[in-house]
Amino acid sequence: MRFTHVLLLAAAVTGLVAGCGRQSGSSSSATPGKAPGPVIALVPKTLNNPFFLDMQRGAEEAAKAAGVTLVVQAAERETDVERQMQIIENLIQRKVAALIIAPSGSREIVPVVLKANQAGIPVLIVDTRLDAAAMQASDGKTVTFIGSDNYEGGKIAGKFAVERLGGQGRVAVLEGIAGHETGDARVRGFREALKGAPGITLVASQPANWERDQGYTVFQNILQANPTVTALFAANDLMALGAVEAIAAAGKTGKVTVIGFDAQDEARAAVKAGKMAATIAQNPALMGRTAVEKALAHLKGETVPAEIGVAIELVK
Amino acid sequence: MMPPRFLVTHARQAGTVAVFVVLCLILSLLTPHFLTTSNLLNVAQQTVINAVIAVGLTYVILSAGIDLSVGSVLALAGVVLALALQAGWPVPLAIGACVLVGAACGTVNGLLVAFGRLPPFIATLGLMSVARGGALLVTDGRPVSGFDASFRWLATGEVLGIPVPVWCMLGVYAIAHFVLKRTKFGRYVVAIGGNEEASLLSGVPVAACKVGIYALGGGLAAAASVLLTARLNSAQPIAGLSYELDAIAATVIGGTSLMGGQGSVFGTLVGALIMGVLRNGLNLLGVSSYVQQVVIGAVIIAAVLLDSVFKGSKR
Amino acid sequence: MALPEPPLLAMHGIAKRYPGVVALDAVDLEVRRGEVHILLGENGAGKSTLMKVLAGAVRRDAGDVRIDGRPVDLGDPRAAQRAGVSIIYQEFNLVPHLSVADNLYLGREPRGRWPGLIDRRAQARNAARQLEALGVALDPQARVADLGVAEQQMVEVAKALSIDAKILVMDEPTSALTEKEIERLFAVIRSLRARGVAVIYISHRMEELFQIGDRVTVMRDGRHVGTCLLADSTMDELIRMMVGRSLTEQFPKRTARIGEEALRVEGLNRRGVLHDISFSLRRGEIVGLAGLMGSGRTELARAIFGADRIDTGRIWLRGRAVTIGSPQQAIREGMGFLTEDRKRQGLVLCRDIEENTSLAHLGRFTRAGVLSPRRAAETAGRLAAELRVKTPGLGQRVVNLSGGNQQKVVLAKWLCREADVLIFDEPTRGIDVGAKAEIYQLIQRLAGEGRAILMISSELPEILGLSDRILVMHRGRLAGEFRGGEVTPEQLLHCALGAHPVA
Repeated sequence: MRFTHVLLLAAAVTGLVAGCGRQSGSSSSATPGKAPGPVIALVPKTLNNPFFLDMQRGAEEAAKAAGVTLVVQAAERETDVERQMQIIENLIQRKVAALIIAPSGSREIVPVVLKANQAGIPVLIVDTRLDAAAMQASDGKTVTFIGSDNYEGGKIAGKFAVERLGGQGRVAVLEGIAGHETGDARVRGFREALKGAPGITLVASQPANWERDQGYTVFQNILQANPTVTALFAANDLMALGAVEAIAAAGKTGKVTVIGFDAQDEARAAVKAGKMAATIAQNPALMGRTAVEKALAHLKGETVPAEIGVAIELVK
Repeated sequence: MMPPRFLVTHARQAGTVAVFVVLCLILSLLTPHFLTTSNLLNVAQQTVINAVIAVGLTYVILSAGIDLSVGSVLALAGVVLALALQAGWPVPLAIGACVLVGAACGTVNGLLVAFGRLPPFIATLGLMSVARGGALLVTDGRPVSGFDASFRWLATGEVLGIPVPVWCMLGVYAIAHFVLKRTKFGRYVVAIGGNEEASLLSGVPVAACKVGIYALGGGLAAAASVLLTARLNSAQPIAGLSYELDAIAATVIGGTSLMGGQGSVFGTLVGALIMGVLRNGLNLLGVSSYVQQVVIGAVIIAAVLLDSVFKGSKR
Repeated sequence: MALPEPPLLAMHGIAKRYPGVVALDAVDLEVRRGEVHILLGENGAGKSTLMKVLAGAVRRDAGDVRIDGRPVDLGDPRAAQRAGVSIIYQEFNLVPHLSVADNLYLGREPRGRWPGLIDRRAQARNAARQLEALGVALDPQARVADLGVAEQQMVEVAKALSIDAKILVMDEPTSALTEKEIERLFAVIRSLRARGVAVIYISHRMEELFQIGDRVTVMRDGRHVGTCLLADSTMDELIRMMVGRSLTEQFPKRTARIGEEALRVEGLNRRGVLHDISFSLRRGEIVGLAGLMGSGRTELARAIFGADRIDTGRIWLRGRAVTIGSPQQAIREGMGFLTEDRKRQGLVLCRDIEENTSLAHLGRFTRAGVLSPRRAAETAGRLAAELRVKTPGLGQRVVNLSGGNQQKVVLAKWLCREADVLIFDEPTRGIDVGAKAEIYQLIQRLAGEGRAILMISSELPEILGLSDRILVMHRGRLAGEFRGGEVTPEQLLHCALGAHPVA
C-alpha cells in the first residue's frame, strides 16, 4: 500500500518535470526549422520588475532576429544574490555560449564571473556595474558593460528638481538597497545637482529597497516626520509609484513634486496624469537588445568596446 | 505488490530516496548536462547552505518546535564574521565569534520558549525581526565584502576532488546524525517532541534541552553563514531572506513530522538535495522562473501529502 | 404465521485485515429494536474495529450490514449517520467553546433569513426540546467547556438523538463518571430503550453490564464467541468466555515481608488541593489509595513526585529528609511514577519500546556521552521478556501495543531506572481482564522484591485484593486508614463519601 504511494508520487514528479522539459522547448525563441544556433543566457536581477521585463523583451527581439536561442532565468527576489549565483552556476553547467548578467550584488557576483571565465564562457554585464576593485583583485574578465550612466541620470533628476522648485524647498530621497551600485550612483548624482542650490534642504534619505510597498510605507513615515516636504526623488519608479499613493492617502496630491527613475509605462502614465513630475528614461529594452547583439559579435570574434552607454532622457 | 521488508520499516525514508532517485533519472534523460561530475558537485555545493540550516531546523522540528529566525540569524552572524575578518581577526577566531553569535540568538529563542512559555512561532518570529535589524544596524545596511584567500578557501578549496563546503556539509550531517542517534541529548530531542509531558515525568531536563535545541539551530545557521560569506566573498545584512522556509521545506520533504517526535537527519539531507536538484534541473532545462516556483511548491505539497497518506493508511 | 420481524441491525461475516493482523474474522452481530446490547471482549478482541466498521470510519473487507432488513452502504461516517447509526466515543467530539445548542446542530444549523445565517432562536428552541425529551436539565446556551464530563456526555447523547439515530453506540461511557452520574446515564439509556432505540454498549466494568444490559455478545481475537441473555449468565461465565480464566484467580495470595520505612510524608499541604497529609510506606508493602474522583489522589502523587509544587510539608525517603522540587529530583531519589494517563503522560507513543524503556535512565547506557544502543537494547529486551511484553520486536512503536503491554513498557522504564518507591496511578485503567491479572502479579512481585508501592485505584476489588494497607482520601484529606483483608467494600465507600471513618 505505502510502496504503491511512493511509486505514485514518483510518477507524478516524472510527469511534472517531463512536462516542464517540453514546455521549455516551446518557450525558447529558437527559430523553428533551422539548426539551433548558440544558446545565449540572460540573467536579470528578477522577473517581477517591469524594468527587467522590458530588458527581456529587447533581448528576445534581438535573439529572434539573429536566429539564436535565448534562455532567461532569474531569482524570485531581486536581493537574493545567492540564488542568482546558483542560476549562473547552473547555466555554466549547461555550457551556454555567452552569459548576460544584471548583477544583484556588485561584489557578490564576482566569484561566479570567475567561474564563467574558467569555463571559457564570455560574460556581458548590463545595468549594474561590477565592483571594479573586486574584479581587479580577482583578475576577473567581462566582455563589456552595457548600461546607462546612473550618476548622470541622477544629476538630470536633480537639476530638474531645482528648476521645478525654483531653488527653494525641502527634498526627500528614497534609496534602493543599500550598497547597490545602481541606486548609490543615482542618489549621488541627485545630491550633486542639489549642491548648486543653497535654498534646497535634503530632509530625509531612506532606503525603500526598490520595492513599491516599501516606497509607500517609508514615504508615509517621512511625511509624518516632515509634513512640509515639497519634492521627492525615488531611485526607481516602483518606489516613486508607492510614494504617489502615500501622498494621495495623505491628501497631498499635487503638493509634492515626485521624480522617479526608469520611465516604466505606469510611471509615464503617472507623469501624464500629473501625479508624478518626471521620470528618467533608461531604455532597458535597448540594453537587452544591445547585450544580445554584442554577445553575438564577440562570439564571431569582433571587438566590442569595454563600455557601451545607453542614452538617458528626462520624461516630463 | 509485496514490498521488501526494509521498505516497510523505513517506508518514509525509502519514499524520499525513491523520489530523489526518480527525479535524478528523469533529469538525466531530459538533459545531457545533468549527469556530469561537475554538475553533481555543483548541485552539492548549491545544496550546502540550505542543508546546513535544515539540520538545525530538523532538531527544532523534531522537538515539536519551529524556528523562523534562522534566515535573519544567518545574516547577523554573517556580518559579525565579516566585520571580525576585516578587523584583522584570525579566521578561526572570527568563525568562532560568528557561531557564538548564532548560538546566542538561538539561546534567546530557547529561553523564551522554555522559560518564557512563548509559543516557538512567536518567539522566533520576534527574534527574526530583531536579528535582521541588528544585522542592518551594525553594517549600516551595506554589505561587507572582500576577504583573504585563506578564508575564501572555505568556498573555493577542494580536498580529494570534492569542494570544501561539501565536506563541511557531510561533516555536519555525520555529527548531527550521530548526536541524534547516539547521545542522551538526541534521545531527549525526539522524546520531548513525541510527548513533552511524559518526558518531563521521566526526568528529562526538558527546559535545558529546549535551550540547547534552539542554540544548536542558531549555531548551525551561523555555520551556514560562514559558508555563504566565503562563497559570495561578501556578507549582506539582507542575506537569508526566507531561508527558513526553504529549510522547513527540506526538513518536511525529508519526512520529519511537523508535530515532532518523528524524522531523521538523513531524510533532511535527501530533502535538501531534492530541492537543490530540482532547482538545478529546472535551470538546466531552461524552464521559466515562474514555472519553477510552481513546480517546487507542488513537490513540497506532494511530499507532505505522501506523509499524511502514510499516516492515514496506518489507522 | 407472520414472519419474525428482522433484527434492527444485522452484521454478517464482517472481516477486516490489516497487514499482519486479522482484526475481524467473519464476525456476526444482531441487535434488536429497543434493547441494550453489551459488546464484551478484551482489548484487541475487535470490538472497536467492529464499531468503526458500523460507523463508516473503517471499510470492511467482507461481509454485509443490514439495517431494518435493507443492506446499507457504510462508505463513510456521513453515510452511516444517514443510515441511523451514531457513536459516542470515549473522547467526546464536541467543540468546547461553542454552546450546547451550537454543538447539537453543528453542521446542520437551522437556516436563517439569508443563506449562511443561522436561525439562532429556532436552534435554541429545538435544543431545549431535545434536552427535555432526554430529561436532562441543561441550559442550551451554556458553553460546553464549562460543563462537567457527565453533562458533556448528555450533550453527545442528545446530539446523537437529534439526528434520529436508531442505533446508538456508547464506548466506555462510564469511565469518567461518578456513581450518581452513572445512575442518571442509566436512566437515560433505559428511556432510550423504551423509545425503541437500540443501544450497543461497550464497557469493561462487569458489574454495570448486569445492571443495564439485555443481551451480550462476547468477542475474542477478532471472532464472535457467543451471544446470550445477561439474565441467564454469570460474571464468571462471561469472563471465561472472554479469556478462559475465572475471576478468583486474579488476586493470588502472597505473604508480605514488610521491611523498614521507605517513604514518609508529613503535613503535606497544597492550597485548595491537599490538606495536612501524613502517611508512611514501607519496603515490601503495597498501600492502596482509594477515594472518589477529584478527591486529590492523583494530586497527592504528583506533589510527592515533584511534578506539582507543595506549600508546606516534609518528605523522608529511606529515613533521610529530602526536598523534591522536580520529577528529575524525585527520580534521582529512586522514585517512579506510573501515571494515570499512559498515552499523554507516560509514553512517547511515536517512539519504540527500547527508547521508552531507557528514557528515564539513559545515563546508564552512555559512556563519555555516547549512547550504546546495544546495551540499551539488551536491557530493554531483558525487561520486556521479564515483564512478558507481547511484541514482534523492541523496534515496535508503543502506539501499536495494547493497553496492557503499554503499561508494562512504562513499568519497564522505572525498573530500568531501578526505582524502588513506585507510585501506580490507576494501573489497570483501559486494560483488558487477562492483562489485568498479569499487572496484579507484577505489582505483587515488585513488592515481594522489597519495593515500596503506593497504588491509586478507583476499582474497589483491585484495592481490596492487592493492598496490605488502604488509605482513603476525601476532599484533599486522608479520611481513613484500613488494614487490607479487614475491610469491606461498603466500609471503604462510606469513608470515601465522607462519612466518619469506621476503623
